[in-house]
Amino acid sequence: MAFNYDKYLRTSKMPTLWCWGCGDGVILKSFIRAIDKLGWEKDDIALVSGIGCSGRFSSYVDMNTVHTTHGRTIAFATGIKLANPDKHVVCVAGDGDGLAIGGNHTIHGARRNIDITMILINNFIYGLTNSQTSPTTPRGFWTVTQKTGNIDPTFNACNLVEGAGASFVARESVTQPRKLEKVLVAALKHKGFSFVEALSNCHINLGRKNKMGSAMANLEWIDSISMPKKKWEALPEEEKMNYLPTGILKQDENAPEYCEMYEEVKKAHQGKRGKITQDDFAKKI
Amino acid sequence: MSSLMKAPANTPVWVDEARCKACDKCVAYCPAGVLAMRQDPQTVLGAMIEVVTPEACIGCNECELVCPDFAIYVADKKEFKFAKLTDQAKERAEAIVANKYMKLA
Repeated sequence: MAFNYDKYLRTSKMPTLWCWGCGDGVILKSFIRAIDKLGWEKDDIALVSGIGCSGRFSSYVDMNTVHTTHGRTIAFATGIKLANPDKHVVCVAGDGDGLAIGGNHTIHGARRNIDITMILINNFIYGLTNSQTSPTTPRGFWTVTQKTGNIDPTFNACNLVEGAGASFVARESVTQPRKLEKVLVAALKHKGFSFVEALSNCHINLGRKNKMGSAMANLEWIDSISMPKKKWEALPEEEKMNYLPTGILKQDENAPEYCEMYEEVKKAHQGKRGKITQDDFAKKI
Repeated sequence: MSSLMKAPANTPVWVDEARCKACDKCVAYCPAGVLAMRQDPQTVLGAMIEVVTPEACIGCNECELVCPDFAIYVADKKEFKFAKLTDQAKERAEAIVANKYMKLA
């Protein structure tokens, strides 16, 4: 018997609404295999998604799901996690959802280091609404809002959340589904804010106007701009900015987790301990 | 569980045509030329996946991993004895890709 994906799917919603060859389906499959590997119960997971093609995630997985407003996945997930600290909370957002409209929520989720796994699907464009420039669209690309070529500099999502304080940061692409599955297992297991950027293809709304109109052409382009972390580190400094390193980029198991700190606040209110002071933290400022 | 999850007898790889959107990804990733597209005027893209040479399947699972639509399944290695990758199979895979992922005449 083949791997049983249907156990984790709402099969009545199949076939998916995504375009043919869309990377989102590959990420969804890798996520399901990761959950299966960890042996987690479906009822113990809450999946929160925003608006965009990535927002369809919450429709397809048969778990506790919330389809929230644009960019507010982290805001909803923070509430869910604080009320149910023993459950696993996963956010799925796109590059426009998580970096532009919800960019503020993303960096503050990372700053708090709350135990949420965020999967950011980066397809380099606003795909669902037909090719507007997103914060990750490479310069020089055609978009519907910059028809003479995009001039906006791009966000490096992993560097952004790492700077904001996330304790687990990784990047992987849909051309490596097995590696993506491994990274997701590590991210889901990690206690603290874990961020996985999944590079994905949108050959329909990014590719067709940028000379990569088929899924395979777009995937080859993704392979040409990304490389494993070790190989990337060996590059000369001036070439590093032209490539995205993949793999686990940061993993800090010692950073204090927000829900655990919040338990201390509860105890302080109940008189079970004194007020929280600077001495409770290793890092003072 | 969909009834399609269970392998039909003596089949290494099988497809769910109701879910396939004919994106060509599985054909592009197959190293042994097992899969190819056939013309099908009933579908949106005018093509549908077909398992053309099941006996050449090496059980690498690549097609199942890259399929975004949960439409293709590969038998478990414990349940089916897969073939070894031959030069003839590699050539067939290249010929299918060169033929725009359509099955060879």
